[in-house]
Amino acid sequence: MTNKEKYKQAFSVLQTSDDFKKEMENMVILQRKHKMNMAIAAAIICLIFVGGTSTAYAANIGGIQRVVQLWIHGDQTDATLEIKDDGSYEMTYQDEAGNIVERGGGGIAIEEDGSERSLTQEELMWNLNSPEVDYLEDGTVWVYYLNQKIEITDKFDENGVCYVKVCDGEGTIYMTIKYQNGWSMSMDKYIDSASFNF
Amino acid sequence: MRQTVQELIERYQNNLFATAFNVCKNAQDAEDVVQDTFIQYHASKKEFESEQHIRAWLLRVVINKAKNVNRTFWKQNKVSLEDYMETLSFETPESENLFETVMKLPEKYRIVIHLFYYEDYSVQEIASILQITQSNVKVRLSRGRQLLKESLKEEWEDDK
Repeated sequence: MTNKEKYKQAFSVLQTSDDFKKEMENMVILQRKHKMNMAIAAAIICLIFVGGTSTAYAANIGGIQRVVQLWIHGDQTDATLEIKDDGSYEMTYQDEAGNIVERGGGGIAIEEDGSERSLTQEELMWNLNSPEVDYLEDGTVWVYYLNQKIEITDKFDENGVCYVKVCDGEGTIYMTIKYQNGWSMSMDKYIDSASFNF
Repeated sequence: MRQTVQELIERYQNNLFATAFNVCKNAQDAEDVVQDTFIQYHASKKEFESEQHIRAWLLRVVINKAKNVNRTFWKQNKVSLEDYMETLSFETPESENLFETVMKLPEKYRIVIHLFYYEDYSVQEIASILQITQSNVKVRLSRGRQLLKESLKEEWEDDK
């Protein structure tokens, strides 16, 4: 047998569970209804926005549904944001091309004892205010934070790591970005690149 | 072109699962990642050039999502790799040994090895999927093969 044949034989044991297809069909139906799924919830906790091309900023929190100012690649626009009791949210806005864009998400927080709870509105809004990293089709890499837009394409070191500091006038966020390999942030210091996604 | 999610699930669910597992080393995490990848395809309006383009896109997304799972501090590996392996029915002891040896490789070697030996991708195609240089793929492939050879000895051929 060739190495490829050996390898395929060894890994052919990996099969999805019997319920996978049925669960998948249910998830597609749920997704059509814009329901939050677990993956999106997970992404929020790690401060990653699925399909994230925008950062939101809102100063008016507390009700069920409200209009907030949404930052898209450094440009501000209005968005309708609905925060639900379970900590999930749905957001609608108009992009640069005039298309109506709907985004949803949510999240959980893990307490010191390991128990999980929904994010509070304050925590959710803090997450929505987080910076984001975007890899464009032209090969350039950008950091977006509120009205700030920073190109970091040529800022990665020989290990593919880039360190970015962004400020909003009240606090400083230290970002450690691994090229095409995720990023971390802290309010205190740059996170060691070796400590995540190694 | 677009294909329905149902068609893609039928065709690629096990391949994507194997790839995600290769990164996550956890069956439940891998299934979650594959589900989320299909959901993302469904939600996306992206047009593809060919079926191979869709396949490559799915693999890229599933790998990136699996990496994200790996880095989350709250990752829940309820079943260890060893326990999960006991539930698998390998055809031969050599297959089990190869599986176990591959899973001990560093992640960056595992992914390249898997795309080459399981998905039959070329160095150029792997570079495109992982968005790294071809020389980087070659180095990882070579180093991964070397580690496999050192562990598996005569059970793994010398191939270039």
